[in-house]
Amino acid sequence: MISCKSISKSYRKGPNLVTPLEDLNLEVARGEFLALMGPSGSGKTTLLNLISGIDSPTAGSLKIDGEDIASFSRKELTHWRARKVGYIFQLYHLIPVLTALENVELPLLITSLTRAERKEKAEAALKIVGLEDRSHHTPNELSGGQEQRVAIARALVSDPALLVADEPTGDLDRESASKILDLLKSLSSEHGKTIVMVTHDARAAAAADRTLHLEKGQLLENEPSYSNS
Amino acid sequence: MIALLQLAAKQLLRHRLRTILTVCGVASGMFLFTAVETLQQSLGEATEASAADTTLVVYRENRFCPMTSQLPEYYADEIRRIDGVREVIPIKISVNNCGASLDVITFRGVPEGLLQKFAPEIEIIEGGEGEWLKRGDAALVGEQFAKRRGLSPGDKFDAVGITVYVAGIIRSPFPQDNNVAYVKLEFLQQASKTGLGIVTQFNVRVKKAADLKPVAEAIDERFKSDQKPTNTRPEKAFFAETAGQLIELIGFTRWLGLAAVIAVVTLVANAISLMVRSRVKENAVLRTLGYPSRAIMFLVLSEGGLLGMMGGLVGAGLAWSFLRWQSFTMGSEGHTLAILPQVSTALFAIVAALLLGIIASVHPALVAIRQPIVKSLRS
Repeated sequence: MISCKSISKSYRKGPNLVTPLEDLNLEVARGEFLALMGPSGSGKTTLLNLISGIDSPTAGSLKIDGEDIASFSRKELTHWRARKVGYIFQLYHLIPVLTALENVELPLLITSLTRAERKEKAEAALKIVGLEDRSHHTPNELSGGQEQRVAIARALVSDPALLVADEPTGDLDRESASKILDLLKSLSSEHGKTIVMVTHDARAAAAADRTLHLEKGQLLENEPSYSNS
Repeated sequence: MIALLQLAAKQLLRHRLRTILTVCGVASGMFLFTAVETLQQSLGEATEASAADTTLVVYRENRFCPMTSQLPEYYADEIRRIDGVREVIPIKISVNNCGASLDVITFRGVPEGLLQKFAPEIEIIEGGEGEWLKRGDAALVGEQFAKRRGLSPGDKFDAVGITVYVAGIIRSPFPQDNNVAYVKLEFLQQASKTGLGIVTQFNVRVKKAADLKPVAEAIDERFKSDQKPTNTRPEKAFFAETAGQLIELIGFTRWLGLAAVIAVVTLVANAISLMVRSRVKENAVLRTLGYPSRAIMFLVLSEGGLLGMMGGLVGAGLAWSFLRWQSFTMGSEGHTLAILPQVSTALFAIVAALLLGIIASVHPALVAIRQPIVKSLRS
């Protein structure tokens, strides 16, 4: 599903050239749930951004579902993201004036679907995350865990093969975090979604099929001994 | 597209106070804009549409106010004898104020039986011709004049030191005629104390448009050595000249209209810039979800357009209602200008406000799409 070959990412920060990722190789199978761990500045979010197509590598090949997205233009990447990837943010980023249903519907507003079709798909996504009875609630009427589930439904609504999650449990209490992880696991095992999740939390990483560790832009062969935050 | 428009409308509800204040600001600007447009349009109608192409106006030389233009009524017979003249109507005009004023009362005295010839377009909408023909002090009052003064047929009223009886209410396609009162010439001559035999002007109809210039020259030549020399011009030129002060005054209001437009653009640009700045991360999230740049631009431009349109609706609506209700009459040197707003003017103001809102949002929209997603998500 995901094939990264010798990918590097560097950018200029003032007079210095910063390289958060260097010559990285990674393979992720279809339907796999992968956790990426590492200290701050290790390059895990940069890797997630490259895999999700919101940033482009400066070198190397990055193939997702057979398409080399490293060669895509900005416009092609935007189109690709809309169809192929669902992004789950740590702080949910729901629009406060919209209901849960309307938030989930957001990615479909730029498609040619009719209003009824959009509603049907959004309701189905809310059902998957177990929030069909909260569809008319606005974000401020929902708990943090429920908001994150709405955000997951929003990521799912266009039925992408790949879900990327940037610390999806980082802002939640233990119980809510556990429910979100169970949901992600079921999306991978029951719905066949490929999931790449960045986390600082070893308990969250334990929910994944595989955990990889990043440090200074490189994948480590062995698990390091840094403490969880 | 409709779904994105609905999203833009909902986004405006997030900062209700900011939205309300911006709409109020835009509404104030568009109120002023509509008022200025109404003035311009009213002046245009008065100086162009109402001027007949075969009518000359004979006035006292070097006089621009009806109060000081005094011509002997017998000039009418002399004028009638000039080649090319079809008809001559002596008219006496009394106004309450010859300077620039917002409440001008004008009496037009027309010889008995000649009103239909002088103003064939007028229509009696209340009262009847019977009282007009029967009573010496009868007046046919323009509908705006009657509305402003609360007059109905059968009422009596005093103005310019003259007391008249309202025989009927008239309507004319020319707005300024709806703001005057027609009375009989003889009555007005006696009531205004200028005496019988003295009129303000002659309206002369020529046989064809080509006769205007030679007939005008012939009239002025005929009375050049007389005690009261004349100045004869086509009606269109007469209106333009007597409305000179108004044109100057109203010309100045163009700057007010421009100021209103600049105020609207600045207000909307400021509101949309603040909105874009406060939603940097949210726009980045939408782009992460696959929203193309054109969709983000559409959202930002829609919010600007909606702010403009709401302000335009409120401002133009209020200005239209206010000017209709007040039915102001502007006057200068005896020339009356009815300031009557048209629906088309209000619609123009609303469309202008919508476009101004969109134009004001172009820069903030470009800012919204140019920021890199990763950098915006970190902000």
